[in-house]
This record gives sequence, C-alpha cells and structure tokens, in this order.
Amino acid sequence: MPDTTEIQDRETKRNLTPYLLIAPVVIYYIIFWLFPVINAVGGSFLSTSLDKGGIFTLANYKAVFKDPIFWQAVINTTIIVIISVTLEFFLAFGLALLINVKFRGSSFFLFLAIIPMSLPAVAVGAMWNSGLATYGWLNSFLIRIGLIDPSNKILFLAGTHFSRMILIILVDAWQVIPFMMIILLSGMQGLQPEMAEAGRVFGGNRWQVLRKITVPMLKQTIITAMILRIIAAIQIWLIIVMIFGFNRLPVLMEQIVLNIDQYMAEEFFRKGMALSVIVAVLVSGVSFIYLKASGAFDDPGSREGDE
Amino acid sequence: MTSENNKERSMPVLTLTNLAKRYNRKVWGVRKMDLEVEDKEFVVFLGPSGCGKTTCMRMIAGLEVTTRGSIILHGKDITDLPPRNRDISMVFQNYAIWPHMTVYENIAFALKLQKKSRSEIDRTVKEVAAMVKIDQLLSRIPGQMSGGQQQRVALARALAVKPKLFLMDEPLSNLDAKLRVVMRTELKAIHQRTGATSIFVTHDQSEAMSMADRIVIMKDGEIVQVGTPDDVYFRSADMFVAGFIGTPPTNFFPVEMKTAGEKVELSHPRFAILISGSDADRLKNNGQNSLILGVRPEEIKVVPEKDSLLSVEVMVVEPQGSFQIVAVEIEGEIVKIVVGSAGKIQPGERLHLSFVEERLHFFNAETTKRI
Amino acid sequence: MTNNLRRNAGRTMRMTTIYILVSGVAMIIIFPMFFLFSFSLMSDYETYSEWPKPLLPRTSVDYRMDHSGNGNFRLSIWNVSENDWMPFGPEELNRNPDEIKKLSRFLNNYGNTQFSEEEILTAMKLTDQDGFYEFALRKSLIHNYRRFFKLYSGAARSVLQSLYTAGMTIFISVSIGGMAGYAFARYVFKGKNILKLSVLFVRMFPPVAIAIPMVVILGKMGMYDKPVGLSLIYSINQISMNIWITASIFMGIPESLEEAAQVFGTSKTGAFFRVTMPLAVPGLAACAMYSFIYSWNEVINAVILTQFNPTFPVVVYKSLLGANAQVHLIAAGSIAQALPAIIFTLFIRKYILQMWGGVKV
Repeated sequence: MPDTTEIQDRETKRNLTPYLLIAPVVIYYIIFWLFPVINAVGGSFLSTSLDKGGIFTLANYKAVFKDPIFWQAVINTTIIVIISVTLEFFLAFGLALLINVKFRGSSFFLFLAIIPMSLPAVAVGAMWNSGLATYGWLNSFLIRIGLIDPSNKILFLAGTHFSRMILIILVDAWQVIPFMMIILLSGMQGLQPEMAEAGRVFGGNRWQVLRKITVPMLKQTIITAMILRIIAAIQIWLIIVMIFGFNRLPVLMEQIVLNIDQYMAEEFFRKGMALSVIVAVLVSGVSFIYLKASGAFDDPGSREGDE
Repeated sequence: MTSENNKERSMPVLTLTNLAKRYNRKVWGVRKMDLEVEDKEFVVFLGPSGCGKTTCMRMIAGLEVTTRGSIILHGKDITDLPPRNRDISMVFQNYAIWPHMTVYENIAFALKLQKKSRSEIDRTVKEVAAMVKIDQLLSRIPGQMSGGQQQRVALARALAVKPKLFLMDEPLSNLDAKLRVVMRTELKAIHQRTGATSIFVTHDQSEAMSMADRIVIMKDGEIVQVGTPDDVYFRSADMFVAGFIGTPPTNFFPVEMKTAGEKVELSHPRFAILISGSDADRLKNNGQNSLILGVRPEEIKVVPEKDSLLSVEVMVVEPQGSFQIVAVEIEGEIVKIVVGSAGKIQPGERLHLSFVEERLHFFNAETTKRI
Repeated sequence: MTNNLRRNAGRTMRMTTIYILVSGVAMIIIFPMFFLFSFSLMSDYETYSEWPKPLLPRTSVDYRMDHSGNGNFRLSIWNVSENDWMPFGPEELNRNPDEIKKLSRFLNNYGNTQFSEEEILTAMKLTDQDGFYEFALRKSLIHNYRRFFKLYSGAARSVLQSLYTAGMTIFISVSIGGMAGYAFARYVFKGKNILKLSVLFVRMFPPVAIAIPMVVILGKMGMYDKPVGLSLIYSINQISMNIWITASIFMGIPESLEEAAQVFGTSKTGAFFRVTMPLAVPGLAACAMYSFIYSWNEVINAVILTQFNPTFPVVVYKSLLGANAQVHLIAAGSIAQALPAIIFTLFIRKYILQMWGGVKV
C-alpha cells in the first residue's frame, strides 16, 4: 500500500517527545550509576596491589564467604527483614485504617505521624542511644512513673543477641511505620467508598469487607509499600551502629561500611566491594521474587491507562 | 448519501478526505472518514462509545496526529498544523476549565495570546459572558462552581475566539438530565445567533436529533449514514442506524419473501403482509428471499380484531405520561409498541396489531443494508 | 428511636476507641523526640549528677552559699532527685579575683547559668550578713547548642555545605526526575515498563558501594569533596523517587487542561508552562522538600565523599561516635539537625497524600 510509509512517518514523529523527556534520566544513570556500579563489580573481582594488583581473582569473594561474621550478618539481616517488614506492615495498615476515619484532629495526627520518617537517622540514633542507655531517659521515665524500682534499672543495651535484634526492630519500626502508613493511606483515599459500602450493604461485616474488598483493591499500593520497605530493610545499618557500634550486631550493610570505610586497607576495601555486589544481588533477587509472587509482572498493560 | 434538502450547496467550510487514525500501528480509531461540512451548519457526530467520533473530532482539533488523509478548513490544509493555528475552538467533555485562573482569565486567555487590546478583550469577554449568562461570575475561581456553571464558562471561552469552526465533545454528558435539556435549547439558540459552523459529538441520539442540521452516524471507525434527523429516522441506512435512532428502537422481524404477481408477500411465522407499489419493485429487484422487516414502535397500531395482522399478549407496560410503551413477545423477541395514553393497557391483555404499511423498512439479512 | 440511640452509642464507643488508640500512638511518637529535646536543654550537672533524670528540663537552678569555716565560702546546688543541697564547685572559696572568675565560668559551663563576678561578690557579702544566701538563676536554654557549635569546629560551616548540597540535589533531582515523571504520566511509549522497573532497580545497589568508585570519578571531574559531587550521588536515589512522585502529581492534572490551552492558542510547551506547571507547583514544592530532607539527613555517602568540607550530619555522626561523647551536646546537635526536617514536614503535610497517591510499582 502506498501510504504505509506515510503512516509510519507520522507515527514516529509523535513518539519522540517521551524519549526526549526520559533521555536525561537515562544519561544520568549511565554516568553516575551504571559506570560506578561496573567499576565496583569489576573491582570486586580484582586482586589487591600487594598481591600483584589488578589480576582477576575470586579471592575477595572467598574471603567474604570464609568470614563467619558474614554468615552471622546474613542470618541477622534475614531475621530483621522478615520480622520488621511483617510487623511494620500490619501496624502501618492498622494506623492507616485508623486515620482514614475522619475524626477531629486527624490532620494534626497525620503531621505528627510523618515526623519520624523525616528525622535524620543520626538524630534517631542519638535519641535511642540516650534513651536506652542504663542511665538514659527510658529508665528515668520508668522510674518516675513508678513502673520500676530505681535499683532495678533495665539494661537495654546489654541484653542477649536476640533482644538486641528486637530492640533494633522496634526502633526501626518507630521510624519507618509512618512512611509505610502514608503510602497505604494515600492508596486507601484513592478507593471509592462506595465499594466498601456496597460490601456492607450486601451483608459483609467490617472484617470481611476489609479482607475481601479493601485489601484486594489496595493490592498495587501494598506491593509498592512492601517492595520499598524490603529494599530498605535489607540495607538497614546506621541505626544499629549508632546504638550498638560496629560488630556488635553484624548485618550486611554494616559489614560493607565497616570494610569500606573503617578499615583503611585495600584488602578490606575489595572485600567490601565483593560484599556490596552480593548484597545487590540479594536485594534484587528478593525484590524480583516478591514482585513475581505478588503478581506485579502480570499484565502490565492493564495499568497503562487506556486511550 | 446526500441530503434531500433543497438547500443550495455552497463551498464546504470543512472537508475531511480519507481521514484515518491508527493507535500504536495496531488499533484503528478511525478507519475512513469522508465528510463535507457547510457554512453555518450544525453537524452532530453520533455513535456508541468507541466508534471513533471523539477521535475524529480530536483530529480536526489537532490533538491527535492523523495517520492518513487530510483535513481542509476554509480551503486551507490544516492536517499537520498545531491546534493553535487552526482557527478552531472547542468545548471539552470535562470542561477543562483552568482551575488556577478566574472565569474572566479563562475566557480572556486566547484573546490575550492573540495580543488583542485590553478594551477589546474586556468587551468580548463581557459579551460572551452575557450570552451564556455568567456575567455575575467573572471574578470567581472555577473550583467553587457547579458543573452547569463550569459548562457555561467552557462555552464562553470557546465562543470568545470567534472561530471558523466550533467543536463540542460531549459537552452535556456530565450534566444532570434536567440541565442537559435546558443547555440543549440554549446551545441551539446560541448557534442560531452566532451562526458558527459547529461539530458536536454525542452518544445520545435524542440530543443529536433535537440539535443537528445533519447527523453523522458512526460505527467501528466508519461513517454509516450522513443525513438530516428525518433522513436517519425515516430512511435509516441499515439495521444499525434503525436500531440506534429512536426510543424505543426499531423492531426487527426476519421474513421470507414470495412474489405474488405485482405484489410481494412477506411471511413471518406469526403474520404475512402484502407489499405493493415501489416497495414491491425494490424488493423484487433485490433478488434475495430472506430479509429483515423493520417497524418503528409508533408504526405498530392497535386495531380492532378484524383489521389485525396478529394478536399478542401484553407483557409489560411502561407509562410515559403522554404515551405508553407496551412490550410484547413475538417469536421469542421483545417487540415494543408506542400507544397513546388514552385507554390504560394492562399486562396480560390481548392486543390486535397492524403495521403502517407505507412506513415499513426493509433490510438485507446478510449485509444489514437498507433495501 | 432506640435503634438510633444504639447507633449513637456504638459510634461514641468507636470514636472513643479511636481517640484512645490515636493518643497512645501519638505518645509513642512524641516521647522519644521530647526526651531528646529535653536532654538538649540540660546542663552538665543535670545530665551527670541527677538520677533519675528530670522529665522536664529545669528553667532555673537554685543555689545556696554559706561559710565553710575559716572565713571562706562554699557553694551548693539543689539536686531535685536527691531533694537536697549538694556541693557544687570548689570546696573552699575566697575573695581572690581569679577564683571568683573561675567560679563564674564554672556556673556557666556546668550549670548553664549566668552569674557575673560582681554578683558573686555581692552574694559573698550577703552570706557574711546572714550566714547563708540562697538564690535562683535562670538557666540558659540555648547553652548546649552554642557549645555544640563551638566544640565541634566547622559545624557552622558544615551547615552551609549541607544547605548548598541540598539545593543542588533539589535542582538536579526535581528537574531530571520531573521530566521523566511527566513522560510517565502523559505518554504511552515503548520500554516504559522496563524503565519503571529499572528506576526501582537503581535503589537496590548499596549506595556505599557506588560512593567508592565515585571518589575516583568525581576526583577526575574536580568535584570530590564538593557539594555538587555529593548532590550527584544523592540524586541517584532521589531521581528515582521523584520520577514516581512527579508522575503521580502530573497524573492528577487532567490532560484536557493542556489540550484546551493548545486549542486556545499556545504550543505544547506553552501549555505546559502556562497551565500544568502552575497547577503542579505545590506538589513539586513538596517533592523538592522531600529531596531536601533526604539530602539533609544522609550520612554515609557524605562521610566517604567529603574530606575537609563535611556536611552537618557527618559532624553530628562523628560527634556521636567520638570517644568522649557528651549526651546532652549530641542531643543539641541532633535537634539542630532535625529541626529543618520537622519544619519541612509541616509544609509537606498537606500534599503528602496527593504526592504518594498515584505511586505504583
């Protein structure tokens, strides 16, 4: 047909605009993300200068895998991620449901609730550091309100390995629940109230409506909140270091920072690189499995907004 | 497909030739559109949703790139011009009133861009505002206004530019039923006053019938029929149009044709009618024996038993005030009949019916085209 | 009637439950912040010599001066937890101007109270008259903040560095992210889904690991140890966030508003600047503040990518890790660092839900 070429010409002309708009992002990420990442990945496979530098080697990875602290960190991180993401999700969901009911002062409460998420990690660290210390404010407070005896101070920071972990999970929850709540809440506000009302009209109780109508309709939002949290939770470290210091409760990111920033030796530096590649693979693997399992990849076209 | 009006045909204001739109090189929005719109004409694009009527209007406005074909406005090819250079104006379905500007600024927007003098802008804004009765609202912010008021602002904004072509994309569909009828009348009055050549998109056939000089009925991206409201009603081009125009729609009966001398006999399991005159000749020439008989609800009459074609039992009665719609079942199909309001009809009652013979429609059973 | 009553009672019950829950959660949120703030106002004495620590910072301190024998003086401070006078400062005080000067400084540094040398002399005179002299001094509440900035040299300069970095981050991430966000909101194009997922993928590589090669890359570009270099790193995370957020904002602005502007005389670009932009400004401002908070709070990249020009969080972080960290001074530093974030939250509050409304993986 003679007008085929004309058809193509007119259609390609129009399609250029979005590519022009996303070009800066792509260029930016190639220079400032892809390039350093290739560098880091490459560096993790190179031997140190002491050991005939710059030759391909798996020594860095071997060093990581031989390190018992690494395995400890893997276990700790896994436990923290599983418990904290689950806990945070349910609490955040409950909070979002709560705020979604209109009550006097709800907008002030929303303001209050989002403060922790904008606080600097350093300040949060200082806050809990000074609070959980034996002579910290938490003990002072408990004594003042008469819950504990002045002679029976709770030694928060000196607990067992597991209690330290629980402490970190709670402190982390304190800061990030608001973030999760905001995403869930904005998803809930996008739902039409008629949907839930219809559920109630047709005889569902509150719980059934929540399970059968609200949650399925929030699926997209829940996936978003969860994936952002999972990515961030695997990379938890600063709060741990601020409260306990390095190597007291090893987690993956903390080990990277420790190797890269604290020990000033090339050997550790390369090990840190190898570690970060491992963490990146872990994070993307877990995210991929989560997205796959939750069906985020199914039929992406349906979300595209129709003509 | 020419109008049978005696109106003398002048140079068309708008000519669409072979116009087509394809999305993502796959889906056709508009397959083929050929149309001429005359000066001061009020043309309505009518069709079910997804028929391409809005896409076509958006191509005329320049908001969609045309995949093929050309658009000529006042002798100038505007196919590839950006919307601002087309000398058109438009009323959008959701009004698209800019919420960060006052009503006055909304209306004056285009005039300011045209670098009109301040006094001229002021005069025009006040003039069109008065025309659509929003002169009290000029300093308001659109956010605080009702749908009807926003609609009027959109209209005023479109009128202010005094365009060569006035496009309206389902402008009344977001209004409530009562306001819709009021606005319909006002729009028609404004059109008569300004004489602006207008294209109006709607899926509401009664809106189309009441406002249009000519109706363009579309289906699946193609024109099915172009004609005056009378054309499309009394001479529907095919079964789709006959079924789409009019409430309730045309009733269809599959019939077999037998020649009976000069006349032809159409037989249905429940009735048989004899057709004579030019209708009979056309049917004979058509050559096919199976065809579809179309009868409009108001052309089925309730008659005494001796004059009747068939008798049926009433299923449902829908009183409408000045008339009532009676639904009956004939051979498994629901048939609707419009009956005057005198004499209340009860469900279960037996009715004796006949057809107004000079108003029957015949369609080809395969092509669905009018015979 | 009874039905109505019952329904009202049910509603009251529900609202009461909600209020109890909400106030409980509010307490949990407020308490730690309040105590940190309270610490930042405490004097050395309150921090280290009172137990349990006061829940509310004191605004004035009670002192008592009496004779220590052989004509010398002795100063005591009222310890609230012990409910008694406790010795404060040197055991023996005489009228030696040097010692008086020392005492005045001691009162300032350890009690956060101002008491001049002349006033000390007057107090001694009054003690001679009556055998003892009790007085209350107003506690300076900003004392710790002043001391933090004095003690950690460069803290003030680091605030400027932080502000500059945040400004650059906002500029880079909102403009680049906003453009892509607009493309995501308005266009259907090939590779959109892949791109959307890659934007998520970018967040999965630990930023620390990117920071190391960046030291070399930025060094070559002459941007190491400069706010610009740091903002380029921060933008990696922030652009990906801003793409989502701005896409959500632009989706909230009907495309027909732009189309109307095009029909009524502007170009596509003109329509964007005249219609979409003004409508997006509040959302974009919220998005900018979000970027600000991220940049202002970030620590580890800043630790790696700065040397002589650290950002403010780095100073606070290092002060906390430092060996002789003083809790109340760190609290002051932390509060100083948290303050802008809290203020910005106040601004964002109105838009935060709208900002996240359309965010989808």
